[in-house]
Amino acid sequence: MREDMLTSILSDLNGSSADIEASAVISTDGLIMSALLPANLDEDRVGAMSAAMLSLGDRTATELSRGELEMVLIRGSQGYVIMTHAGPEAVVSVQAKSTAKLGLIFLDVKRAAAAISKLI
Amino acid sequence: MNDTDFERLAAYTRQFTGFSKEMESVLNGLSEQILPHLPDVTDSFYSVLLEIPKARPFLDGRIDSLKQTHIRWLEQVFSGPFDVEYTKHMYQVGDVHVKVGLPVEFMAGAMTLVSTRITELLGEIFQDDSVQLKQSIAAVNAILGYTLMVMQQSYESSRLAEELEKFLKITGMSRTLFDNLASAYK
Repeated sequence: MREDMLTSILSDLNGSSADIEASAVISTDGLIMSALLPANLDEDRVGAMSAAMLSLGDRTATELSRGELEMVLIRGSQGYVIMTHAGPEAVVSVQAKSTAKLGLIFLDVKRAAAAISKLI
Repeated sequence: MNDTDFERLAAYTRQFTGFSKEMESVLNGLSEQILPHLPDVTDSFYSVLLEIPKARPFLDGRIDSLKQTHIRWLEQVFSGPFDVEYTKHMYQVGDVHVKVGLPVEFMAGAMTLVSTRITELLGEIFQDDSVQLKQSIAAVNAILGYTLMVMQQSYESSRLAEELEKFLKITGMSRTLFDNLASAYK
């Protein structure tokens, strides 16, 4: 039931912009709770890598006096990976095209993270 | 490490060092002649260590208790038993060495000192019996090599565990997250 609700939130998120290619909700231990990923991506790797990056982001923000972490953004030649907390127990990871309008994507990701944190 | 792992480690180390049941008998047979000399071996060992500046911080204020432990270990080298418990014990000794921050080269260096001193001693005891001398030196080399190998295995594991702890602390990752990340890339 809860997994269906998480999938529904991710489905809405992916549908909110044609630039969003994939998304996942992950436990802070790196395990996938729900994911809408293309077949070429390994769920376990996306989960563990995203949670690890966010954990490192948390530490970096603290160490470099940047306050509380809001999100981790990775920009590659093929697009973006955006990771943010969804409450204390979960992480949202989103992959977007390189042409994506980040302002809109950030807004959608934040909304999705807020909805997910209420569920978990 | 569980008992099965120690049995495996013991078998692996025996294979490498050639430490055999016959050698165990040779060592047991030496005990009567060599035990009275072991305090001298230990004294000579620590007098060399005290001359090494890098070793001094690990010795200051602890030399008497270290000597007692060293003699107890040497007595075991000539009495056994060389079972899983011995392997486990030497593994723990390696672990303690990591915890006190002893540089890795100290173990090989220290074992060489002990080996040299005992070989000299055996040379004096068996100066007229070259067969016995040869057998004794081979058995001593094998058990000291066995002990060193076990301690180094422990050293490596403990070192890696320490480095992992440091990495987890720096990155803020939990152990579970690290395990999940590692298993995702198996």
